[in-house]
Amino acid sequence: MRGLGWFLAALGVLLLTLGASAAVVLGPDSRFTTGPHPIETSGTVVVTQPGVISWRGLQVDVLAEVPANKPVFVGLGNSVDVADYVSETERVEVSSFERPWELTTDTVDGQPGLPGAPTALDWWIAGSAGLGGSSISVTLPDETTSLAVVAVGATNLSGLEVTLAYGPRGGFATALGVALLGAGVLLAGVVLLRGGRVTAETPDDELEVVEEIVYVVVEDDGTEREISAEEAQALGLVEDLTTDDDEVTGADPMPDDPTIDDLTPGDTADGQDVAAPAETPVADAPERPTHDSARADADPSPVPVEEDVVYVVVDEDGVEHEISADELDAYDLDEYELVDDDEEDSR
Amino acid sequence: MRRLVLVLATTVLLVTACALPQQREEETLGKIAATPQEIETVFARYEVVRDTAARLLSPNPLSIIQTEAVLDIETGSFEVAQRLAANDPEQDDPIDVQRTYTPRFGSYPLWFVAVVRDEGREVTRVQVFERAAAADPWLLISTPETVLDAELPELRERDGAVVRVAPDDEAGTGVSAQQAADDYAALLADAEAEVDTTFAADGFVDQVRAATEQNRALEGVGFEQTWESQEVRHAVRTSDGGTLAFVDLSREDTYDVPDDVTVTWPEDSPQRAFIPEGLSTTGTLLYRHQVLMLIPVGDEPVRVIGQFGGVVGAEGF
Repeated sequence: MRGLGWFLAALGVLLLTLGASAAVVLGPDSRFTTGPHPIETSGTVVVTQPGVISWRGLQVDVLAEVPANKPVFVGLGNSVDVADYVSETERVEVSSFERPWELTTDTVDGQPGLPGAPTALDWWIAGSAGLGGSSISVTLPDETTSLAVVAVGATNLSGLEVTLAYGPRGGFATALGVALLGAGVLLAGVVLLRGGRVTAETPDDELEVVEEIVYVVVEDDGTEREISAEEAQALGLVEDLTTDDDEVTGADPMPDDPTIDDLTPGDTADGQDVAAPAETPVADAPERPTHDSARADADPSPVPVEEDVVYVVVDEDGVEHEISADELDAYDLDEYELVDDDEEDSR
Repeated sequence: MRRLVLVLATTVLLVTACALPQQREEETLGKIAATPQEIETVFARYEVVRDTAARLLSPNPLSIIQTEAVLDIETGSFEVAQRLAANDPEQDDPIDVQRTYTPRFGSYPLWFVAVVRDEGREVTRVQVFERAAAADPWLLISTPETVLDAELPELRERDGAVVRVAPDDEAGTGVSAQQAADDYAALLADAEAEVDTTFAADGFVDQVRAATEQNRALEGVGFEQTWESQEVRHAVRTSDGGTLAFVDLSREDTYDVPDDVTVTWPEDSPQRAFIPEGLSTTGTLLYRHQVLMLIPVGDEPVRVIGQFGGVVGAEGF
């Protein structure tokens, strides 16, 4: 297993390095961009010779710009089509291209115009026309292609500038994926090298449990309001704000501080129902039937507190109505059910 | 476990590598003549224009979907319909494209073959559409109708493209497509010649010879018929190594009529449409014909399995 672990670790490092490097080089747009580069011509066509574009699967963006809002077309087509289309026309042919931008061009004599408008042809793999500039974005197919920049109408391409961007489609995401895969493979290798166990680096005795005490006052209208520790002390609920670390941290999750059972209405001078300090979150209200279910040895059966009972009647429409104890006698209850939200009480 | 990891890692690397751009190994010029979508577009446009021409009873729109012999023949048929004041029902029938064959080309012109069924007239045509230049539209250039008992051969395909045959290629067949076309024209031109072992028994030859016999039987009328084969430009290889060739032929029927005689044709005939008053001096009728020629492998005789043609013009009075 250790051998496999080393293998995976090495493979993971390799993938991680490759992926991260590619992601950094490509950037988020997955492109290398170069330009704008001027191309000297006074003619109507600039075209790459067959074989100059020798890649497939490469994402290429080409922007051709001409001054004075002249109409211009840029298109990529099969070299058979493009070569025939421009065969009789005076043109600049790009005979070689080296990255990032090094062109070799030839000027070919011919007629000044093309046999038809480039926008009227149906064989362009990608093509676009515009005023002052035009661009295409295309993935190079697995066939011999040529790129053509064509002046539309009675204009020419003087002042032409070309910007080129290229890269693998989705290259950045792929590189990140490879890097993540490498990280995963590396982790798997490390796990195997450590005998298949994943252990926590922090010992148990260093674990720290931070508790927050929240004081909540339940108003007469039943709404809850959070109060500060000082306000709670002013209300006489807490005698000393200083807490013992042992009580809020560590081993005993149920300190012997006042529990919910200890709270009854009338504990305060102003008659407000006040909940004792509770561990966060505190959602309990003293009106509810409560029990000390949080204690491990607590009686699981509910211990009703008369003053806190809420009577709810469900009518025949399924609508619940809260009623008082006095109103209870008015109902002839054949069936009733004791409901207690244990989960909330246990907090 | 080790194998599983290796397989997974290899698969991931391969998938990733396949998604990356690669330098093309083959840099030869070439393209399939037309994709199925392009062919669909070609036929849709063809039907629209053809139906428009039929509604107008005018051959003028046909020039943007047809060319050369087909255009001549179809224009002739429209002129016949106009002169005879008859609609040509052929033009309204829908076309069912049954199969297409697209060769691969390194330069223009491009062309492809389509087998279509005309249910209205219950005929099957083997058509050739050609694009002469990149800036030109696709035009119908050949459309012979197969004879009733003809079975179209399977065509040989390589890398998804049907294999073309050069007109002078006689490898495997013993006779090239061009030579077969020339021999067939000679056979048609010589009414006395016997159909030799080069060609199988042919209803078209019989039909032509019967018409020639009738014309020569006209008392006192001199009649001469010439045939000429055109350059063969469209031929494909059959799956058994033979050749399927599209051959264009031109024909001229010349009449030398004595003074006191007038040669006329039946009321609803194309010839009557071109020469309504008949010929009383000298005159020539011009025909164009297209034949679909199957040149088998070995010593098997050449068979003509399709034909299309008609009067395209006339001179004289």
